[in-house]
Amino acid sequence: MQATSCFRQQLLSAIPRVRRYAHSLVMEGSTADDLVQTTLERALSHWHQFDQRRDIVVWLLSIAHNAHRDTQRRGMRLLIVDPQVLQAQQDQQHSDPGADVGLRMDLLAALQHLTPEQREPLLLVTVEDLSYAECAEVLHIPIGTVMSRISRARAALRILLDGRPAATVHALHRVV
Amino acid sequence: MNTASHTPPTDERLSAWLDGELPPAQAADIDAWLTQHPEDAARVRLWAADRDALRARLGPMVDEPLPEAFAESVWRSTPQRSVWWRWAAAASAVFALGGVVGALGVWQLRSSPSAQLAAQPAAGWVQRAAVAHAVYVPEQRHPVEVSVSGASAEENRAQEEHLARWLTRRLGFAVKLFDLRGKGFELVGGRLLPDAAGPSAQLMYQAREPAANGAAPARVTVYLRKPEDGTDFAFRYERQGELSLFYCVEGGVGYAVAGKLPREQLLALAESIYRQQPGAK
Repeated sequence: MQATSCFRQQLLSAIPRVRRYAHSLVMEGSTADDLVQTTLERALSHWHQFDQRRDIVVWLLSIAHNAHRDTQRRGMRLLIVDPQVLQAQQDQQHSDPGADVGLRMDLLAALQHLTPEQREPLLLVTVEDLSYAECAEVLHIPIGTVMSRISRARAALRILLDGRPAATVHALHRVV
Repeated sequence: MNTASHTPPTDERLSAWLDGELPPAQAADIDAWLTQHPEDAARVRLWAADRDALRARLGPMVDEPLPEAFAESVWRSTPQRSVWWRWAAAASAVFALGGVVGALGVWQLRSSPSAQLAAQPAAGWVQRAAVAHAVYVPEQRHPVEVSVSGASAEENRAQEEHLARWLTRRLGFAVKLFDLRGKGFELVGGRLLPDAAGPSAQLMYQAREPAANGAAPARVTVYLRKPEDGTDFAFRYERQGELSLFYCVEGGVGYAVAGKLPREQLLALAESIYRQQPGAK
């Protein structure tokens, strides 16, 4: 049975957000758009499973998450930034603190350096503005896990951006 | 809680506080803790700065133009091609049979079970749509109850808004005034009509150009109503003498497009409506 035009309209209006998440997750433009395309196809073939009372963006992000996992399982790897490249970018940033481009590069490079388990909930909650409950739904993990992963992602991101050794930070903040 | 401000909060709780995920009482404890512990406050501020930087860097992506391929796959994809293509293909096959058309009247062009279930309830209201078309289309002075042709473009827009709001309120679903100007038809206006169990509406469109034989410009009507419960999807074409009717039930709205037009032209109009149809609610 065909998806209703109502569903298609909802799908269409949700694409920009799904695409944003895909691009923040994958970073490589054409791979990210492939992920969006796969998400749309899966959504259309499973449209009858969508509960109209739910937020379609959350449902689609969950599909995108699964699709992304499947792609990774098939052996495609995320673009991992070489630590030396990262270091070079940080040096550049330190030598020219006013360079906005250097700062941005640094942030995204650091983001790519997080583990997927840290990066995904951090992006969903900060950039996509999902609640922990919605984030848990998208990633199929308990809310408590969302909470700890986001916290760890923040600490890890800080270490990467500061260029501080991890041990110091843990010694300082793992007081409890 | 007094004791709370003496127990250092974990990073997880500080992070959840930043995301507004703590219940008010616990959030207040963290507030108190942070005012007394500037070092922790500075750390949370850094997290907030990272969050803002991520939003600033990645957020604007939503405003980027989308590759056209996405919209195309939303309208076309699924295992089959668009229903419209299949409809057109089926219609061509059917019309090749010529005279059989009149004899059978209603063509069932979809084979899904829900369309078959919907076949019976659809017939009555489609007949009412055909009658409403026949009654109001020849009307020269009062073709519609609410006209959208005012003295200025602004007035037109105001009238259109009024008409859409009024019909939405009375029909109980979002009524959209379909824009058929791309197909050479202007909206004249609309009216409320009695259907079997409640209100229905008729939108009237008129061709911009007079007919080739010098007759009055062609008029097309769109009949809208709330379908019976359980009518999931129906999708049919019917011909009554010179009048072509195309009707569809989808997304909680039943609509019938009627006009004395060649079927290709009516199909083009119906397709345009289908694409603009907002669905239920």
